[in-house]
Amino acid sequence: MDESMSENQSRGKETETSSSMGDFSVDAADIEDIPDSETIIEARDLDVYYGDERALNDVDIKIPEQQVTAIIGPSGCGKSTFLRAINRMNDLIDIARVTGELRFKGKDVYDENVDPVALRRRVGMVFQAPNPFPKSIYDNVAYGPRIQNDTDNLDERVERALRNAALWDEVKDRLEERGTDLSGGQQQRLCIARAIAVDPEVILMDEPASALDPVATSKIEDLIDELAKDYTVVIVTHNMQQAARISDKTAVFLTGGELVEYGDTNRIFENPRNKRVEDYISGKFG
Amino acid sequence: MAETDVDAGVGFTGVSRLRGKVFALLARAASWFGIVVLGLLLALVVVDAFGLAAASSGWYAGALVGFGAPTLIYAWYVTRTRPALRSVAARTAVLPLAGLVMAGGLAVLFVIFEPLLWFVYYTVSVLPAVLVFLLLRRQEDSRAPLVGGFVGAVGFAAASVLVGWVPIKPVTWLILLWVLVVPFASLVASRAGTDSRNRQSTIAGIIVVGGILAGAVLPRSVAVSPEVSIILYLSVLVPLGWYAGLVVSRERRRWPGLLSPLVLGAAGWLGLVLADTIGRQGPDVWLDWQFLTSAASTFPEQAGLFPAIVGSVFIIDIVAVVSFVVGVGAAIYLEEYAPTTGYTGLLTRVIRVNVANLAGVPSVVYGLLGLGLFVNLLGMGLGIVLVAGLTLSLLILPIVIISAQEAIRSVPNDVRQASYGMGATKWQTIRNVVLPRAIPGILTGTILALSRAIGETAPLLMIGAATTVFAAPETFTSQVSAMPLQVFYWSFSVKSTFREFVAPAGVVTLLGVMLSMNAIAIYLRNRYEQRT
Repeated sequence: MDESMSENQSRGKETETSSSMGDFSVDAADIEDIPDSETIIEARDLDVYYGDERALNDVDIKIPEQQVTAIIGPSGCGKSTFLRAINRMNDLIDIARVTGELRFKGKDVYDENVDPVALRRRVGMVFQAPNPFPKSIYDNVAYGPRIQNDTDNLDERVERALRNAALWDEVKDRLEERGTDLSGGQQQRLCIARAIAVDPEVILMDEPASALDPVATSKIEDLIDELAKDYTVVIVTHNMQQAARISDKTAVFLTGGELVEYGDTNRIFENPRNKRVEDYISGKFG
Repeated sequence: MAETDVDAGVGFTGVSRLRGKVFALLARAASWFGIVVLGLLLALVVVDAFGLAAASSGWYAGALVGFGAPTLIYAWYVTRTRPALRSVAARTAVLPLAGLVMAGGLAVLFVIFEPLLWFVYYTVSVLPAVLVFLLLRRQEDSRAPLVGGFVGAVGFAAASVLVGWVPIKPVTWLILLWVLVVPFASLVASRAGTDSRNRQSTIAGIIVVGGILAGAVLPRSVAVSPEVSIILYLSVLVPLGWYAGLVVSRERRRWPGLLSPLVLGAAGWLGLVLADTIGRQGPDVWLDWQFLTSAASTFPEQAGLFPAIVGSVFIIDIVAVVSFVVGVGAAIYLEEYAPTTGYTGLLTRVIRVNVANLAGVPSVVYGLLGLGLFVNLLGMGLGIVLVAGLTLSLLILPIVIISAQEAIRSVPNDVRQASYGMGATKWQTIRNVVLPRAIPGILTGTILALSRAIGETAPLLMIGAATTVFAAPETFTSQVSAMPLQVFYWSFSVKSTFREFVAPAGVVTLLGVMLSMNAIAIYLRNRYEQRT
């Protein structure tokens, strides 16, 4: 571990020298500061390693409450790794190791006394490929309340979750059918309904529309807009137009697991401060 | 090469498929060789077991005409004129056969455990446990399986005490009605559909009334025992009636398809009558009811397989429970819990590889292990049911573990992730997501492994099981023989009749049991593949 640290320090020096050329620096001014009162998730010097490989490099970010924050960047830049660090899904990978701090409502989630299972009940997740359980539509949505032994007014809550996920009208007459029999876009909305049925505070979305056709994608985007009224949404996306359409804040990760620029979405897309971000957004690489 | 092709002015030919064609031909020849040899073997054994060589040609002619003509006419009617009837006819023809296989399995259970035992254990243990479980589950209480299991266990303990002292002893058919027909009726009724409560109770009522008729009235007029009557009623008549009801209510015009079992039965009867009037000599059937129900004897005509059949069933019961519980537990641990990194991860990998190696160890070696471990070290008796069952469990354990591991591994990782992402614990994920998807595969693998265990001879010889016992085992410490052991003994008999006819009859019985087990496994697999 010491070795890799010193290696990274020397790499840090390299970037410093190249920063004199003005293009490759990560300036603190490029990362917008959010007032603590509005912050729900905060990372400080967050590193994630897969074995010896460093997937996230000293990430500092504050994510505001009840807004949509988009995370964009080229493949392999650590977007998904960062997302999975928030609800400790990386714990499921044996070789993953996390250093630094990640605070959820001021509490470091990597503290010894934090149970990742309890954390995931407050921070829901929607995955890239729709992955409903091979159970009925009803049982899919009721899964969260049931595993938490919290089954009062279950019917009502299932209906509310399906309504909020804009799926109720399409499935209300066939709640007993299997969730896997729905179309791709419906399956993804079912997964969103499943995630919000337990009323989490944050919903993490890992490229939720990348496996869907344009019509289903626009439905999901409308839905994310609605969800931001009640929940904090953090969404990883490959699609820059999508990020521009739906998010309030945008974070740009670039190769090497570095957070390069973070701020208001409009500002980032119209007037990026970092040269590499500008190149990426204008399609010169990535 | 390409240049010469162009030079030849062709360009689109000249790609050789010779090696591929030769390979395909060889592969086809190999598979046909296997199928033909296997078919030949089966045919020889069947000819001997049913003494088909003894019958005169007149008998065969009569049987062929009597059975063949009506069947062919009906088949022609169904396939040529009304193709829509085909599936209905096929289903109604197969349904009673499948029912008979099931009835055989059920009947063996009632032979091993007398009806009074069923009555006591069902009333005191099973029924309260199921009722408590259903009641709690209706209230969405997640402790339902736990509480139900507890009630069942307490009831089981109470029942073991009560068995020696039962105040009322109902007649057999009443016990069967209470233990089999009523629960079956409520199960069918609850599956009938949620929207029609009236129809459900009608169905349940009809089934129960039919059960009373089958148990109390029929045995008095026809000479069958109430056990046989009720079991046949439940496994053959009720499914047939259910299916007929479905066809008549939904697709009335396809009703002639329902006649197939009647036609087949009538044709069979006609065939026998015709054959007996025309032919001088019928086949000398060795595999008959007498063979299945009597014990071994020094006279071939009186010899039977009954103690060995019951012994095999006893053994397979133990093997099924032990290998399923231990094997699935081990597979879940290896796939879901075992560490994969560091030194302990290395250990996990060593274990995984060696489980696969153990599956290839010869069965004689497992016999030696059983002898050394259970008989010599733990001091259990030589050749008793328990030792035989445990030894065969060890034998198939690696196969069960491997197939269960495969089934668990084939559960897509993203549904696991979904469950963890919802804040489910590892156990909740395994219980609610992984096992439900893996269980059909696990069952298929276990049943195939069991059908291997039921045919094993060598390990049983090693642990000192007798080749012939004259009484069916009654407890887990009784001396036991198994079907393959008995067949093995007959095949060395001095009397040639034993070698030529009795042993083949035993082989066909054994194969029949194995094939029906494999059929169940295949049915489970197909059902599973359709669902996903």
